[in-house]
Amino acid sequence: MPAEHIIKSYDEELNRLSKMIVEMGGLAESQLAAAIDAVIKRDSELAARVVEGDAKVDQLETELDNLAIRLLALRQPMARDLREIFVALKIASDLERICDYAANVAKRSIALSQSPPIQLVHALPRMAQFALLLVKDVITAYVEHDSDKALAIWTRDEELAGMYSSLFREFLTYMMEDPRNIGTCTHLLFMAKNIERIGDHATNIAENLYYLVHGTPLTQARPKGDKSSLEVVAPDRAESR
Amino acid sequence: MTSPVARPLASAPDAPDRSSPLDAPSPQARRPLSTALAQRVPAPEEATAMAIPADKVEMRNISFFYGKFQALHNISLPLYDRRVTAFIGPSGCGKSTLLRILNRIYELYPGQVATGEVYLDGTNILAPGLDLNWLRAKIGMVFQKPTPFPMSIYDNIAFGIRLYERLPRSELDDRVESALRRAALWDEVKDKLRQSGLSLSGGQQQRLCIARAIAVEPEILLLDEPASALDPLSTQRIEELIAELKVDYCIAMVTHNMQQAARSSDYTAFLYLGELVEFDETERIFTHPKVRHTEDYITGRFG
Amino acid sequence: MQLYARRRLTNWLVIGLSVLATGFGLLWLVLVLSTLLINGIGAIGPSLFTEMTPPPGSSGGLLNAIAGSLAMTAIATLVGTPTGILAGTFLAEYSRGSRFGEVVRFVNDILLSAPSIIIGLFVYEAMVVRMGHFSAWAGAMALAIITVPVVVRTTEDMLRLVPTALREAAAALGAPKWKVIVMVTYRAAAQGMMTGMLLAVARISGETAPLLFTALNNQFWSSDLNGPMANLPVVIFQFAMSPYADWQVLAWGGALLITATILVLNITARVLAAWSSFKQ
Repeated sequence: MPAEHIIKSYDEELNRLSKMIVEMGGLAESQLAAAIDAVIKRDSELAARVVEGDAKVDQLETELDNLAIRLLALRQPMARDLREIFVALKIASDLERICDYAANVAKRSIALSQSPPIQLVHALPRMAQFALLLVKDVITAYVEHDSDKALAIWTRDEELAGMYSSLFREFLTYMMEDPRNIGTCTHLLFMAKNIERIGDHATNIAENLYYLVHGTPLTQARPKGDKSSLEVVAPDRAESR
Repeated sequence: MTSPVARPLASAPDAPDRSSPLDAPSPQARRPLSTALAQRVPAPEEATAMAIPADKVEMRNISFFYGKFQALHNISLPLYDRRVTAFIGPSGCGKSTLLRILNRIYELYPGQVATGEVYLDGTNILAPGLDLNWLRAKIGMVFQKPTPFPMSIYDNIAFGIRLYERLPRSELDDRVESALRRAALWDEVKDKLRQSGLSLSGGQQQRLCIARAIAVEPEILLLDEPASALDPLSTQRIEELIAELKVDYCIAMVTHNMQQAARSSDYTAFLYLGELVEFDETERIFTHPKVRHTEDYITGRFG
Repeated sequence: MQLYARRRLTNWLVIGLSVLATGFGLLWLVLVLSTLLINGIGAIGPSLFTEMTPPPGSSGGLLNAIAGSLAMTAIATLVGTPTGILAGTFLAEYSRGSRFGEVVRFVNDILLSAPSIIIGLFVYEAMVVRMGHFSAWAGAMALAIITVPVVVRTTEDMLRLVPTALREAAAALGAPKWKVIVMVTYRAAAQGMMTGMLLAVARISGETAPLLFTALNNQFWSSDLNGPMANLPVVIFQFAMSPYADWQVLAWGGALLITATILVLNITARVLAAWSSFKQ
């Protein structure tokens, strides 16, 4: 069963596309890992480097867009090849967003590190590590074109969303207990939301990977574990604590 | 008469089980992804965009022999009315051979034999006693190289009409004009109907041949690589013409240009070494074919 | 540069040899034509076309010979051309690949290169002896037998040149085979077939040997096709070999006339060919 195109340069260009995705994925991983590090170690310099590093990813995404357009115009791709290019475009966009969120987390950690540390900060990195693992795994799944792994990642996002919901409640409680925590907790809330969005984007990538391999989209509705939008705060409950 | 290929989406029944491991897990593959609402939206029927097409021609168990050499192996597929069906495949796969069975033009050559049945509106046109004139009046053919007859443009078109009918001059004029109009050639030749058909450009000659074929008012048009001898602009004109003509005719087209098949046809049949590998809607074949072999061919992984 | 120089030298050498060979061939042609012209031009004049062949010693012309040649050539063409066309059509359209067709083609080729004297002898035996006398009919028949294979050959070749797609296009419209041939294939090959016919006429206008056995010659004007008839080639033969000067002059004149006719026919054939392709 022939796996290579008769025209070799076509294969080379498609490989280049793949490699760019993997490079972006690697950057996403390292950016997120560095951002988590900056939060834990309250390292503002590291955080600043993460923020600067985001420009590289944007540049990569532009390059990838250009390569994809070129392939579409010049090669008239069909079936598998067309899906490959289409999905590469989507995954690049998701990865770029992941990097944006990682940079946001890093930016907020600078603000965090200027206020006194609170104990709740430790809950965040745990969630972030989980998200990082999702990203790592989805990139591996892409490299291997493994749709089973993609499906597995797809289901793990629910867990991440659950983490976010419980963090949300904890932050709310913390803020209600002591108004001086509101500043810190708000930052933490946003950071937690960003990480949850990273998980969503990783899931998007998994869905696109599934489509790439099978040619048909995932039909089930994505399980939404995030109940935070339904959360209601009742003041008298807090006071009775 | 039940068709072995009842739904447009089914692949050829005689193809051996070559379905790839990439098969879609669910038949309702087109359902939109998102949300809880998905359960309430009924899956759109494949055929609502164009009403379920009628079988115009049904080919069953067609085999073809050039002397002792078997060129086609047990092929069955339908041609739908008012649709374009494209035959694609590498050189020598039998697509032209298959096309030429439909109007029995192969019978001009001794030693070429077709077996099986071809039902046109229920009549088996491969039956021995069939009136070939009737058949060829119903099925028109256009060839790869434009072949205008060495006579005036008017006579070219009138040639076919005169074979079957004796018309008064004015009526003949009308028929000629109508054929040239439908072939998008009238404006270019209306002042030079008396000139030789050979004085036209390649693209015009091909349209002349198409006009000549439709002048006898057939129901089916067979196009054997109609644009392969033409430059890109003429090719596009021919493709536009095919899009206009398909409203009235059942069209079968052989092409070795996959992009042309993708652009112009509604259904595509992929043949390889005389066998039907896959038959499906064009959109399906070119975005997500069922058979790996088909995908390898259309993505240029083998020629 | 060694190689290049050597190649150029070889090039010039071969060109030189080709030119020499061409010159050699043309030389004889020019000699023949000029001899004809020089010797025959004296005989050309109105009397050539208005007076009969004279007895030796008196002046005259070649009218009866010209008329006789024209008549026999015309009859031969009228008989031979349709036969040849139909036979050529059979070979090209109906017998592709068949054994019989191959045999016919083979026989035709033999006939094509058969010495014309054999044909004359055959017609002598078949017609002249049977009828008991020489006749223009026999002459015409001999010429017709020579015409047929030429026309068959050119017709078949021209018909084969017509692309099969053209035939298929006509058949695909529903035309029966004979209509395809008559209305499409013939028209496509028309100009080639016409050329073939002209060449056949040019060929038989100069044939002498068969006429010796069949039409013989006639000193006087005769419009009786059933008897011997004067014709240019035999007159030339007779007059040229004679010791009489005025007869010899007339012979040269006749030879010049035949040559000029053949020349005109060939030119016409070429002009026709050029004109048709220009039209397209």
